Amino acid sequence: MNKELAIDMLAAVKKPARYTGGEFGSVFKEEAEVRIALAFPDVYEVGMSYLGFKILYHLVNKMEGIAAERVYAPWIDMEQLMRERNIVLTTLETKKALSECDFVGFTLQYELSYTNILNMLDLGGVSVLTKERWEEEPFVVVGGPCVFNPEPLADIFDFAILGEGEEALPEVLVCYRDWKRAGKPGGRQGFLHRVVWIPGVYVPSFYDVTYNDDNTVQAVTPNTPDAPTTVTKRVVADLNTVDFPTAPVVPFGEIVHDRIMLEMFRGCSRGCRFCHAGMVYRPVRERRPEVLRELAHKQVDNTGYEEISLVSLSTADYSCLGPFLDDMITDFKDKKVSVSLPSLRIDAFSVDVAKKVQAVRKSGLTFAPEAGSQRMRDVINKGVTEEDLLHAVSAAFANGWKKVKLYFMIGLPGETDEDVLAIAQLARKVQWKFKEITGKGGCQVTISASSFVPKPYTAFQWAPQDTLEEIRRKQGLLIEATRVKNITFQYHDGKTSIMEGIFARGDRRLGKALYLAWQRGQRFDGWADVFDFDRWQQALQDCGIDPDFYNHRVRGENEVFPWEHLQPAVNRAFLANEYKKAKQGMLTPDCRQGRCNGCGVCQRLGVPVMDWSGRAYDASKEPGFVSLANKLAVGDNHSYSDATQRSGMRSQGGDAE
Amino acid sequence: MKLRFQITKDKEIRFISHLEYVRTIGRAIRRAKLPAAYSQGFNPHMKYSLASALGVGVVSYAEFVELELTEPVYPLDAAEALKRALPRGIRVLAVDAVDNSAPALMSAAGGAEYRVTLPWTGDIVPAVEAFNRTEAIYFEKQAPKAKEKVKRIDVKFYIPRIDAVQINNATQLHFHCRITHNGSMKAVDLLNTLNEQYGLQLPVEKADIERLDLYRVDNQGNMWPMLDTLYKQG
Repeated sequence: MNKELAIDMLAAVKKPARYTGGEFGSVFKEEAEVRIALAFPDVYEVGMSYLGFKILYHLVNKMEGIAAERVYAPWIDMEQLMRERNIVLTTLETKKALSECDFVGFTLQYELSYTNILNMLDLGGVSVLTKERWEEEPFVVVGGPCVFNPEPLADIFDFAILGEGEEALPEVLVCYRDWKRAGKPGGRQGFLHRVVWIPGVYVPSFYDVTYNDDNTVQAVTPNTPDAPTTVTKRVVADLNTVDFPTAPVVPFGEIVHDRIMLEMFRGCSRGCRFCHAGMVYRPVRERRPEVLRELAHKQVDNTGYEEISLVSLSTADYSCLGPFLDDMITDFKDKKVSVSLPSLRIDAFSVDVAKKVQAVRKSGLTFAPEAGSQRMRDVINKGVTEEDLLHAVSAAFANGWKKVKLYFMIGLPGETDEDVLAIAQLARKVQWKFKEITGKGGCQVTISASSFVPKPYTAFQWAPQDTLEEIRRKQGLLIEATRVKNITFQYHDGKTSIMEGIFARGDRRLGKALYLAWQRGQRFDGWADVFDFDRWQQALQDCGIDPDFYNHRVRGENEVFPWEHLQPAVNRAFLANEYKKAKQGMLTPDCRQGRCNGCGVCQRLGVPVMDWSGRAYDASKEPGFVSLANKLAVGDNHSYSDATQRSGMRSQGGDAE
Repeated sequence: MKLRFQITKDKEIRFISHLEYVRTIGRAIRRAKLPAAYSQGFNPHMKYSLASALGVGVVSYAEFVELELTEPVYPLDAAEALKRALPRGIRVLAVDAVDNSAPALMSAAGGAEYRVTLPWTGDIVPAVEAFNRTEAIYFEKQAPKAKEKVKRIDVKFYIPRIDAVQINNATQLHFHCRITHNGSMKAVDLLNTLNEQYGLQLPVEKADIERLDLYRVDNQGNMWPMLDTLYKQG
């Protein structure tokens, strides 16, 4: 197979810089004992904006003899040319075909990128199905947020790494190197039986799934003594001690997030009941301000970027954000570097923060009340009132902002038409507030309403998703209700949400439909202009799969879920109780305010919340608390996962019982 | 003080756009920590510019950047620092320092030298001879935005003469193209003209176009280098 992208190919495609490679900061290791392709199943501009791979790229390339390279999904125009001319998909650095690498590592960011994984493997000369991979082919490894239910992809990947990769991935690579040096004993199976002993590693082929007559899962059981009953995610106990990239790759072309991404902290303990990230990335661990400033200086020097984005799940919650921002702005003023926040909290403090950082552009402020009525905001545990929002926008208007964007969800469990219409009313109230404060009309309010998709390991994992008809009906209600001057309503076609919902809570049986849909041409499902819902429906039907079983069914209280052998360390009893409280509209406060809610994560992982406010609940002071270091000290997946399960039982106190 | 660098756009990055190329250089200047001057105002911009825009897909060994500084630096050190801060595919070939009052490099270019290599083995000699003999050849080009507007250009005004050689399985053209204050013409349009006028079937989409040089032209038609070179390599 040929690797070279000829002049006439590059001249014919959109954005040829996507395929150029060799950007400043990229690392070329022609000779390497172990090579991993970090594969992002979307286009370059999207994949290059992903912080996780920046971290792993930096970390792995610091290892001697081990190379990490990058590969992205070619857009449809390029794929067509590659297939016509039999050109293989390669990494951007040393132009190795994926089949020439030791590992192809995909991140599972989004369910609708799964077809791209199959497609990239195929284009890279790697057998798509695990069982068809021959001895010398690379191992396909996956990670990322959707790894807590990767079951629809169980036929595709060889193994997964659950949780944070900073420690686990190097362990895996060293394990592979040793196996390779030893002459690859036992072949592919031999390696899988070795790597499965590393804490956090999941090998899907080592588990059998049995089903009940009603199609629900009966049990997921290991079929080899090497595989632990459950696999618990890996985390880094103290982010101040791990490596963070100081010289990330600087792209030629414009990417989605074309700026320095400084990760302030991981995890979020606000406990919004719809939020997957809020559950699977716990516990909260902040970086020290002085560590962050040092990282920021190095990155600015090494990249030449003019903007630093302070990223985390909820940056405004960083415990010493105010003084930290002042320091950052002072530090970088002379270097002509600006500081920005990707999201704001709904309060006056956040507007104050926005005022500091957005000195240049007063384009618009974005808030996410998530639901229109107070009742629904209580159901989802958003912990924000209408008063909070009106306070925040008042502060914004008083400071000169004229535009506001509000993010909502529709289709949340228990939602009524009144709740949906409350979204439009809230937008009107924001406009009135503008009039009240400025004495003028003309406040632009944009409402963006996405359709809620229930996700595993959230309080709503039991809840049915709205049907397509229901989503459309509710969108229609809002279209009508927002026919008001200066209110813009944005929404997406519900079809993509339906497919996302099926795969989010899917099981292994979906693998067949995924394969079939890909063979029939599905890819880039997250791109509305390419997504073909009818083809998906047909593929599901041809595989004898009833999609409603996955997204429109009320799941039983005691139902076994296909993902429960994969543990982000959140207690099921806690989630069940949160679902119960949601139905009653009862709130659960953030544990950073002092009280443990019994989610179990700190105790099970042996990692306390780390923040500098001093108010957060500190699980490490509990009697019988076993630290992560001690849990890992035993050194294998069985004891680690067992230890995390046992601590989990102990910590199910609090509200959970 | 202004620094002028001669840099390249090598084969491996030929498909980045002009805008991407300009931005890449800007970031490299920041990484190189050169004392760049910035514009005043709310949204300050670094004061640097390129001498001419290059089409996407065209390789060049003669791109020129002019950078205004806030304090003098030793040009060779600046070139060294910039070299280290540039990605693969952009090399620093030469550097020159001029006074802030020197006219902008942007308006200085009077001509460019090109080499075009085509995977084509037909007989190009008659067409080239005819081209070189002709007084004027008109080429009609649609303006990129206004559809009905067709621009008629005299190719011979820009490109008076072509040299052609056959190497292995390729045909190579070599020519100079005039640059005026009202613009220039693209190398690829010369190929289109040859195809149109002489019934050739040159594979235009596969053309490997290289800009070998960019230079100043005085009133007598003499060619002068863009830089009074202080330092030159490779």
